[in-house]
This record gives sequence, structure tokens and C-alpha cells, in this order.
Amino acid sequence: MLLDTGYRVGPIAALRESVYRIRALSNHNTIIRLRDPGQTISYVVMPMVLMLVLKPLYVRAVDGGTTKVVTGLLVMFSVFAISIAGNAILAERTWKTWDRLRVSRAPAAELLIGKTLPMYLVMVLQQIILLTYGCLVIGLPIPGNIPLVLMSILVWAFTLLAIGALLAAIVRSHGELSVISDVGALTLSSLGGALVPLSLMPDWAQVAAQLSPGYWALQMLQAAVAGDTAGTLLPAAILLGIALVAGAFAVRRLTRGWGRGGLL
Amino acid sequence: MLQAIDLVKRYGSVLALDGFSLSVAAGEIVGLVGHNGAGKTTFVEIVSYLIRPDSGHVTIDGRPPSANKGKVGIAPQHIALYPSITVREHLVLFGKLAGLRRAALDSAIEELTVALRLGAFIDRREAGLSGGQQRRVQAATALINRPGLLLLDEPTAGADLETREAMLDVVKQRAGDGAAIVYTTHYLPELVELQATIAVARSGRIIARGTYEELVDGLPGEVRLIHDNEEEVRVSTTQPAATLIDLLSRAERPISTIEVHNPSLDDLYRSLAVSDAS
Repeated sequence: MLLDTGYRVGPIAALRESVYRIRALSNHNTIIRLRDPGQTISYVVMPMVLMLVLKPLYVRAVDGGTTKVVTGLLVMFSVFAISIAGNAILAERTWKTWDRLRVSRAPAAELLIGKTLPMYLVMVLQQIILLTYGCLVIGLPIPGNIPLVLMSILVWAFTLLAIGALLAAIVRSHGELSVISDVGALTLSSLGGALVPLSLMPDWAQVAAQLSPGYWALQMLQAAVAGDTAGTLLPAAILLGIALVAGAFAVRRLTRGWGRGGLL
Repeated sequence: MLQAIDLVKRYGSVLALDGFSLSVAAGEIVGLVGHNGAGKTTFVEIVSYLIRPDSGHVTIDGRPPSANKGKVGIAPQHIALYPSITVREHLVLFGKLAGLRRAALDSAIEELTVALRLGAFIDRREAGLSGGQQRRVQAATALINRPGLLLLDEPTAGADLETREAMLDVVKQRAGDGAAIVYTTHYLPELVELQATIAVARSGRIIARGTYEELVDGLPGEVRLIHDNEEEVRVSTTQPAATLIDLLSRAERPISTIEVHNPSLDDLYRSLAVSDAS
């Protein structure tokens, strides 16, 4: 006798089953993340230390130096966190487990949600911790419009997640991912004004900055912290656009699996 | 249960499947044998809906693989487990993905723990398991929801005796419960023990199918006699018993050793290798 799993077709039952599977996948991926927390911890602790060290420099060099040092380092180290997302997805290829999941009853959308939800929460949490630290320790004024700041964090984390997934879908090895995410993160975040305030950068760099998602993230977060809703929305829309394009490509690629090729 | 007809699959210039056809009935174990590159794994991947054939079609219970997601249990050839996750956590994950809930999930885990002898290491992480233990865990994740179709791709490769025994017992039991099973292997005696129908794949197609007896019938065995511990006589024959009697009746000197080698699946395998090489 084959076992009756209780699975029944029907919209409500199907939705309940879908939520059940996503929860199972999210729990599973949370366990994996919690058992290997080193990278995440370093991307929280390092910007905290740098904020303390660089704050006097920023305050002397530019107006609103406290806001800029907190948001700048937040953006920089959240960009580094792309590699957390990328590695987590790429690991499924290294372990050859992604195809095991694809064979299961869970459709690709559920697999991706279950896989990325814990990473998304990690990224959101990282930014919340850094902003809270900025307010409590560095002296960043407590933002007047908390929902606007939260919305900005959610949008930025979503963008990073999509870029991380895209990288994981196209690179051939962890080495490639490491090179691309480290060099890319440093370039995008510093070019975007996350390391050195934009006003101190050469003219060409100030123009080129607008090509970097880090620039728009910085504009969005600084506007949100200042309570400037109008100034927050344009960068948020641009980042969402980037996220949707990167995410769509990653979903398409991951849905089909990696095949047999590649270095892994 | 499973019907694959005229599958063709090409990877660039490599023709992996070239008119591959195979059917498996409910309760039947089909042992899929063949050399590396014969198309076994590609076939398994198509049935699992991991890849699509260039042409031909597959049905499982009369429906395409896309409509049977989750109803096929697959244990791939390579180990595909999460290093930082315990055996129990693997079973919980794959059980839940298959739709099992509390009591049913607990009961399935309990049953597989006993059947595949996982008890001693069920709370250990995969990274700390031996190769044989990993094989058993992988099989358990494929079996957890009692799928109607099981694709076991070399489930005992490199495994120890305990793993092999446990695996064969479970496979027999699941077939007895009505599951259709495709069992690829290079260990041919396992297929005899499983009383499997044997399908031989070569160059992307099935070239022979039948019971063990049917397939080895007609293959030459060998009779070997040694006279006075010195002179050796070897006769290749399709009828070893009759040949032996004939040789004994004509023997003029004392015989110190008699060996009769009946044709086996290994001979079948070797004969295919010879045809391949030629």
C-alpha cells in the first residue's frame, strides 16, 4: 500500500500545502545559516568598528558627517552581504542538492522563496542592527519616519538579494563568486559614495556614481533617515527596477537548474 | 506505471539517448545496467523531469513527468545531501516537501530508521557520516513518502555490506508494496538477488531485456579439468553440464580438479564490452 500523504488538490488545500513547504524550506535554510554564521557576523561587526573609527573624519570633512558615515558603511557592508546570498544559492550546486529539491513536489517559486527568505531576513536584520547601532552609539539622530526607513531597508535588501541570486546563477565556482562579489562590492559601494563622501570624489566619479546601485541606495537611505519621502521614492524605484531585472534572470536560470557543466 | 518511448537526448555533439525505450510495471524492479555513458543517468533525469528529451515521450501512470512531481522518489548516483544538516533533519525536510505531516512524518522516519539502520547516526550531521551511511540517508530521503515510482541510480556504489543488505531488503519490500522501481547498478549479483527484470543499455538505447535466465541463456560458460595437477583442459561451452559429462567419460588419466563455470551476468556484461570494443 502506498502512503496517503494527505495531499488534496483544491485552491485552499494547495495554498496550505504551499505555505507548509515554504516553511519547511525556510526552516531548513535558517538552520544552515545559523550553523555557519561567521560571514554574517563579520559583516555586522566590521562596519560597527569602522563607524567608530571613521566618524571623526566624516564629521570634520562634510556636512551631516554622522549620517554619511552610518549610511555609507551600512551600504558598503550590505553590498558585501551579496556574497552571503550568492554562496548560499551556489552551495546548492556544490552539494548537488538543488536538483533533489527540484524533483520534489515544491515548484520552483516555492524553492526560491524558501531558499531566499532567510537570507533576506538576515540582510534586513543586518541593516536594522547597523542603523540602531548608528543611533545608539555613533550619534545618528533617530529618524522621524521609521516606516520610510524600514521601507528603504526592505527595498535595498531585496535588490541585494536579487543581485546575489543573479551572480550565483551565472558564476561557475565559489572562487568566481568571491572575486566578483568582493571586487564588485568594493567598486559599486565606493563609487556610489559609501566609502568616501561623494562631494570629496573627483567630478568624473560623481557622474559615474549614478551607475552604481550603491549610489541610489545611499540616496534612498539618507533621504529616508532625514524623513524626505519624495527624495526616497525615486532611488527606491530605480533599485526596484534593478532588482526585478536581476531577479527575473536569476529565477529563469535557477528554475532550469545548472545542468552538468561548470567547474563545480 | 512508467513508460518511456523512443527517447532521444543530445548534449552538443554527444548523443546521450538514441531511441531509449523502457517500461516498468507497478511492483516490478527493473535493473538498468550498462557501461558508463550508456544513457542510464540521462534517462533517470528525464523521468525525474530534471531535463527534457529532444524527442520521444515519458508517462508515469499515464501522465507526463511534469504532472507527477513529488510522486517519484529519486536517489541520484552522486551523494546530494547537506553537510551541516543531521540525518533526521534531512528526513524531516524531504518528508515535509512530500507533504507528510506530524504523525505520518514521524512514522515514516521511524520506519526508515529501522529499515535502513540509521538509528546509530540519525542525529549526526551528514559531514560526519561514512560513504555507506550517506548512501543509506540518500535512499531514505527518496523513500520517505513511499513514492509509486522509485529511481535508484547506483544506490550501493562504494557501499559496505551492511548498506547493501539494508538497501536490497528495502527495495524488495517497496516493490512488494506495489512501487515500480528502476535500479541502476554495476553490481550485477544484486539484480539476481532482487529478482529484477534486467534491461541492458548501450549507446543510448536498451539492447536487451529479460530475466536473468533469459539473458544469460546462450552465453558460453566454461568447463576446466586438470589432469594429475599438470595438464589443464578448458572448454568454452553453452552447455557446461553436458560438456563435463562428455569430458569425464572420455578421460583416460586421473583428474585432480574440476571446475564448472556457468554463464553469469558478468559474462553478459563482458560480452557487451567486447561488442563495444569491436
